[in-house]
Amino acid sequence: MHFLSFLFDKHLDKTVLAIAVALSIVLLAAGQQSKIENAKAITAVLLYPATKVGDYFRSVDRLERENSELRAMVATLYQERERLEQFGEERNRLRQLLELRADPFYTFLACEVVARSTGTFFRSVMVDRGSADSVRVGMAVIGYRGLVGRVSRVYPHSAQVLLLNNKSVSVSCIDRRSRVVGMLEWERGNVFRLEYVGKEEDVAVGDTVLTSGEGMLFPRGFPVGTVFRISDERGGIAKRVSVSSLANLGALEELFIVTRARDWNDTRIYDELERLEGKRRPGEGQ
Amino acid sequence: MSVLRTVIIALVLLVMQMTIGHRIAIAGAVPDLMIILVVALVLPRGPVLAVIIGFLLGFLQDLGNASFLGMNALAKSVIAYGIARLGGGLIPENVLFKGFVIVVACLVNDLLTLCITTSFSIGTIFMSFFRYSILSSLYTGVIGVIVYSAVELLTRRVVRSGAGF
Repeated sequence: MHFLSFLFDKHLDKTVLAIAVALSIVLLAAGQQSKIENAKAITAVLLYPATKVGDYFRSVDRLERENSELRAMVATLYQERERLEQFGEERNRLRQLLELRADPFYTFLACEVVARSTGTFFRSVMVDRGSADSVRVGMAVIGYRGLVGRVSRVYPHSAQVLLLNNKSVSVSCIDRRSRVVGMLEWERGNVFRLEYVGKEEDVAVGDTVLTSGEGMLFPRGFPVGTVFRISDERGGIAKRVSVSSLANLGALEELFIVTRARDWNDTRIYDELERLEGKRRPGEGQ
Repeated sequence: MSVLRTVIIALVLLVMQMTIGHRIAIAGAVPDLMIILVVALVLPRGPVLAVIIGFLLGFLQDLGNASFLGMNALAKSVIAYGIARLGGGLIPENVLFKGFVIVVACLVNDLLTLCITTSFSIGTIFMSFFRYSILSSLYTGVIGVIVYSAVELLTRRVVRSGAGF
């Protein structure tokens, strides 16, 4: 007790120094492997915060790399999604076409628009079916919503379709409800006018206009448009009937050529049309 | 100076000693940055605390070279005790005097470490001491003077700007 008091009360500084020196000597005398292991353990504890900070920055680098990879993946997947959406839309359109195809009354030939004309008044599209597929001039062409035009020229593997929004095309139409007949002519955009409808005729807004089949140019019964405005022509005897086409003529992609109808298979009209247009018969290499 | 700040400064100095110590060597003389901190910390303190600080900082330095674990702890403990015992009230508040203390501390530190690393081989100790230790001590002293001056200058500015408020 007296000795401890001597060490820690009277000579505390020297005692602490002696302990420090003794501890240092013990450390120096320890085995080499033990020293290294101890140093490693203590360093690991002391440098733990620094290690954590280092890990954090390394993880930032890794996350940046991962982020850029994920961005690239997102871009790829986005394009893939767009592509699949297009496929989906195309599939829906084709399903609708196939429903039409299932109609036993007509025979349809599915085709795809491959080119569009740029003319203002002579609008047409090129489709990927031609004389090799038995396509002939004059055949009606429909979209999945309604009539869009008729074949005007035929090549071995393609055909030109004259669209309804064309100054040179008139379609004989009939009001589905009242059976009033008129001649549909293009006015602007997807808007048409049903001509030669008498003032007393029964045509109402919302009526659907179908092809009448008269003139043998277009098969009967295909929907063409809907009446959206009716007005009396000033001082006239006819009505001014405005019709909007069912098919969006500015955005056609898949079409259907009406190649045959049960009660509309007279091919004389095609021969006549071909003669009139001075073209050689399809299949002879136009 | 708080304990945490001291530990951080000690770690930074240790890292600097291990990474750039050899790059700033002049003619093979490497400055001992840890001694600058030891002197700064133990000068205004009593011998007991000085020994503890010296031992811990030396031990920290030893961790960088585990083959001689305890060598710097021993040397720094002795130096810290010496400075606190002899220099505490005697050394004036002058940077140059502190620089001188650093030089002497470095010489003692080198002498002790040479004794341990050479197993008291007198010839080698003398040769290494005159070849490296004197230059290394002077170099450390110069760095110490620069560091202390910079710290004093910064402290004065901080005090002045604090007084302005």
